[in-house]
Amino acid sequence: MLLELQNISKQFDQKVVLENINLTINSGEIVSLLGPSGSGKTTLLNIILGLTKIEQGKVIFNDEDVSHVAMKNRGFNIVFQDYALFPHLNAYENIVYGLRNKKEGASAEDVREYIDFLELKPHLKKRIGELSGGQKQRVALARTLVTKPKLLLLDEPLSALDGVIKESIKERIKSIAKEFNLTTIIVTHDPEEALTISDKILIINQGNISQFGTPFEIINQPKNDFVKEFILRQLQIKRQNIFHLFGEKYA
Amino acid sequence: MRNAKPEIRIIFIIILLLFFAFLFIPLIVLFLRSFMMEDGGIGLSNYIASLTNDALIHAIGNSFKVSGVTAIITTTLAFALAYAVNCTKIYQPLKGAVKIGILIPMLIPTITYGFAIMYTFGNQGLLTKLFGRNLFEIYGFNGLLIGYVIYTLPAAFLLIHNSFKYIDKKFIIVSKLMGDRTLRSFWNTVTRPLLGALGGAFVLSFILSFTDFGIPASLGGTYDVVATQLYQAMLGSIPDFSEGAVIAVLMLFPAVIGIFLLNYLERFNFHYDKFSETEITSSKFRDSFYGVISAIILLGMLSIFAVMFITPFVTAFPYDLSFTWEHIAGVFQSNDLVSVYKNSLIVAVLTAVLGTVIAYGSALLNARTKVKGRQTVDVFSMITNTVPGMVLGLSYLLLFNGSSLKGTFLIIVLCNIMHYFTTPYLMAKNALTKMNPGWETSGELLGDSWVKTVYRVILPNSISTVLEMFSYYFMNAMVTISGVIFLVSAQTTVVASKINELQHFAQFNEIFVLSVLIFLTNLLVRSVCEVLQKKVEIYKK
Ligand SMILES: Nc1ncnc2c1ncn2[C@@H]1O[C@H](COP(=O)(O)OP(=O)(O)OP(=O)(O)O)[C@@H](O)[C@H]1O
Ligand SMILES: [Mg+2]
Repeated sequence: MLLELQNISKQFDQKVVLENINLTINSGEIVSLLGPSGSGKTTLLNIILGLTKIEQGKVIFNDEDVSHVAMKNRGFNIVFQDYALFPHLNAYENIVYGLRNKKEGASAEDVREYIDFLELKPHLKKRIGELSGGQKQRVALARTLVTKPKLLLLDEPLSALDGVIKESIKERIKSIAKEFNLTTIIVTHDPEEALTISDKILIINQGNISQFGTPFEIINQPKNDFVKEFILRQLQIKRQNIFHLFGEKYA
Repeated sequence: MRNAKPEIRIIFIIILLLFFAFLFIPLIVLFLRSFMMEDGGIGLSNYIASLTNDALIHAIGNSFKVSGVTAIITTTLAFALAYAVNCTKIYQPLKGAVKIGILIPMLIPTITYGFAIMYTFGNQGLLTKLFGRNLFEIYGFNGLLIGYVIYTLPAAFLLIHNSFKYIDKKFIIVSKLMGDRTLRSFWNTVTRPLLGALGGAFVLSFILSFTDFGIPASLGGTYDVVATQLYQAMLGSIPDFSEGAVIAVLMLFPAVIGIFLLNYLERFNFHYDKFSETEITSSKFRDSFYGVISAIILLGMLSIFAVMFITPFVTAFPYDLSFTWEHIAGVFQSNDLVSVYKNSLIVAVLTAVLGTVIAYGSALLNARTKVKGRQTVDVFSMITNTVPGMVLGLSYLLLFNGSSLKGTFLIIVLCNIMHYFTTPYLMAKNALTKMNPGWETSGELLGDSWVKTVYRVILPNSISTVLEMFSYYFMNAMVTISGVIFLVSAQTTVVASKINELQHFAQFNEIFVLSVLIFLTNLLVRSVCEVLQKKVEIYKK
């Protein structure tokens, strides 16, 4: 056991955004937060990160209550949906930005390894504006990994990318998590993405946990109508469309 | 970011203190002073005395009349120019000339306009010589009108020009395709979406003219306006601080109403958030019409300023037009004038540096932190926008008269910083709001403190705006007279207020030399800032 959320609730001026979230995530797992727009995914991610304060509930990390530990001291890190890369620095300068602040961060050796692994070598001298979406994504990922986070958070890492790049980044994230044994939490609103990338999926609807389980469990034992109607239905339509496109011989 | 960090709180407190000491308290003192009676009691007697004073009532009437006519003319001309630049296919270099030429008046003190107009239309003026007779009487209404129009045209043009950018010109084509007649099309696609901006330009020109001191100081003659009355009350032969306070409050009134109107008119502006670049259709008649109009406006303005550049280089304008360095050399040999120019430089540099720091810090708090009460900065910005320079200067005079701040550069600098706060603040706020909201969090997660993130990330990404703010503050501090006229001492006289003194000795050559110096200094600062901005842009790409 690594990260535990106990009874987390969150309101923004009277409006309940999250209600009684209980959850345990194990070391090295990739977990997706899946839910429709406005369901509270980003809010939950920000609570784990320490950016959003909670009035109720606890965030426990390795048996230590970090609910009131400042964001900076939790040792987690995030890749924002829009990357928040610094445009006045080039790709390399962005990647090593945090190095001079963190002594326990990555060594020069590690940095080279991340750069190789993310295939960023040819792009190091480029300015942020010259990078494609997928390249920016990888630079942001590298910048975050360099700080050696204990927990990696990704907010919609794939939504700004197109088809082929999406698949390759997906694989990359998966292999990073495995290679560096990094516990990773990914926010997404795409069921297919969630089910193919993660070990476990947390489905949120209107601030409540709809179901938490492995992809197999979600597909085969949907717990309620929401999971059936909104999550599985989407996948079935997609499957039909694809069968239709390729014809019966692929069925 | 969520719970304010100590360093953020400290900055906030400093800014609050500054605005309390140098904006709120002076204004409160001014108000109180206007109600304070001779026996020390509180009452309306000052107001009654002033409002039964025929001369003042007459001056207020004059101010309304000349400012109103100015506003109508300026708005019309500014609209014609903005339309020519944005919606016609007039000769491209002419467009460029309009966009740059229109800004020239901003580089010169308003008081100089007056003398330039005198030398153009006056008894010995350039045009008078050309036509062989006086075209019209320039002292009084006509002269003020010309001066105010020149003074307010740049601001009005910029306002309308900016709004044109938010108009989707494709609608002009759509309207044509729908079969609209010219007039109806013009109304629906240009005038109607610009109503807010046109109203804004009108109000802005009105307030600027109503509160300016430089132009009536040089051209007013016996035609009294509120600004000259205020000056008389405070620095005339029999100073009357109570009357001054009352006039200042009366001057504040239209300005306050004007600012509310401006905010209200803002709602009429259309904001097409997505608009496309559209090819402008050609029209021979339209293009020649607007081409001629813009050329006339521009040439008219430039011809007035031309004397300012000619006079200092000729022996005795307009009688002896032989070239000479005498006047220029004279100014540089005069310790007095050189030190006045130095004073102006000191004031402008200090204003620009400190002002930029304060405005940037305020915008930073407002746009990029969640510190409680950060909205107060917006209130400050609205108030500084409302208070005319003369009123602010007068309130400083009343409050700091007995203090050690009196007669220092610091008090002039602070007055300028407050007086011109709104625009640089909004520039910074605008730029900072557009930046990625995740940078502070990213910086923090990467181990930076807030201050360090500001220094390493936020600042480098807003250098261009900072330069813009700097040059705005610098140029305005260089040319302002209304803001500082009550605050300068013999040791801290700046060029604009010196010109006001020189006119009494008819030293017009010196006046023009000093004005040209200001103009060139402003031009230099502006150009350096622009070059640096371009450099930053290239470097960013
Ligand atoms: N700072 C805030 N103040 C007030 N309400 C907020 C705030 N942040 C989020 N909310 C509200 O909380 C709810 C959940 O927002 P959240 O951003 O967590 O949704 P999400 O699941 O990430 O949605 P999306 O898929 O659109 O990103 C929304 O209704 C949103 O309006
Ligand atoms: Mg979200």
